[in-house]
Amino acid sequence: MKTFSSKNRKIILDDDKILIKKILSGEESSFEEIMRKYNKRIFNFVLRMVRNEEVAIELTQDFFIKIFTKLYKYNFEYKFSTWAYRICYNLVIDYIRKNQTYVNSLDDDSTYKKNSYMRESSTKEDGADVLEREEVKSYLWKTVNLLPVKYKELILLRYIQELKYDEISEVTNLPIGTVKNRIFKAKDLLRKEIEKDGMLKK
Amino acid sequence: MECLKNKTIQEYIDKSLNRVESSITRDHLIVCEKCRTKYEQYKKMEKLLNNPIYKEPPAKIEKFVMNRLFSKIPTYSSIFALIALSFILLVSWIYIYFDFNNNSIIQAFKLTSNSAFNWITSIITFISNIFSSVYAIFKVLNKLFMIIFNVNIGTQLFGLIILSIFIGVFFFVSRIVYKKLKGHN
Repeated sequence: MKTFSSKNRKIILDDDKILIKKILSGEESSFEEIMRKYNKRIFNFVLRMVRNEEVAIELTQDFFIKIFTKLYKYNFEYKFSTWAYRICYNLVIDYIRKNQTYVNSLDDDSTYKKNSYMRESSTKEDGADVLEREEVKSYLWKTVNLLPVKYKELILLRYIQELKYDEISEVTNLPIGTVKNRIFKAKDLLRKEIEKDGMLKK
Repeated sequence: MECLKNKTIQEYIDKSLNRVESSITRDHLIVCEKCRTKYEQYKKMEKLLNNPIYKEPPAKIEKFVMNRLFSKIPTYSSIFALIALSFILLVSWIYIYFDFNNNSIIQAFKLTSNSAFNWITSIITFISNIFSSVYAIFKVLNKLFMIIFNVNIGTQLFGLIILSIFIGVFFFVSRIVYKKLKGHN
């Protein structure tokens, strides 16, 4: 691992930072590598947030273009992934604010009506059959899509982007306590929702 | 014994409780079936959340971004636009400052050229006519500019400014058209 010092502070150059240095020195293939590394997680995060594939594609493209144009502003003292996810997060939140597309989501008070997917699945589960793990997983992730945005964004940052609580707090600008509480609350909602359909029974 | 809070169970799974809290929780889970069921559910859910279902991103994302950021064509079109601009400026300069049409060498060539070189004379006359027309247009536009803004910057300078703007617009439009075409392929 390479190191270099900036303002008397030693900065560890991880793989991402080495790639960024190469991009800044004009190496196109390094940007391609960065894209390949983050494409899947960014696209899936955006897709689950906006729930529209065409929009997700556009936003993912915008994200990479934005990353490239802002790269000269990147401070090597910080982790690249956190910096990038923050840009992605802001892009998606801006889009959602401008296009209020959330009508169908789970509420804290459970007074919502189940969407078609859920109705379809519950009829299937009326039988006493034990469901396959993959089916439960798919059901759980579809339920994640229905969470209110303030919970969903944190669940996605935690499990799709694989960020730690402190990194999520940095990305979203929320205090770490709020991040933890919201994630607990979100998992609570998810568990209750799935439990209703007996999905988590052994 | 009071049941565990949902948050405590999750913190226990997260391993974010301190040693004392953790052992109290563990002991409670041994004796309380209700909390143990919840614990099992949270644990199972945690496992499922840790293995998300990823959708493969379409290949067009990378392709689009790379084309947009590193397209070679703007470089070629820049060179082309630069050559075109230089050519127009050079010819304009020759015409305006050396009075191309009345230049003694051109006049001498026109007078002495025989039928074998008539095509050169025709080309010279053609270029002269184009420049005369363009010059006339610039003169009229400059007059209008003078009337509107009450500033006289001279037909020649005015013409050069208009030409530069035209080349710039041409360059940007051709770039946009190229990108649209490339995007469709």
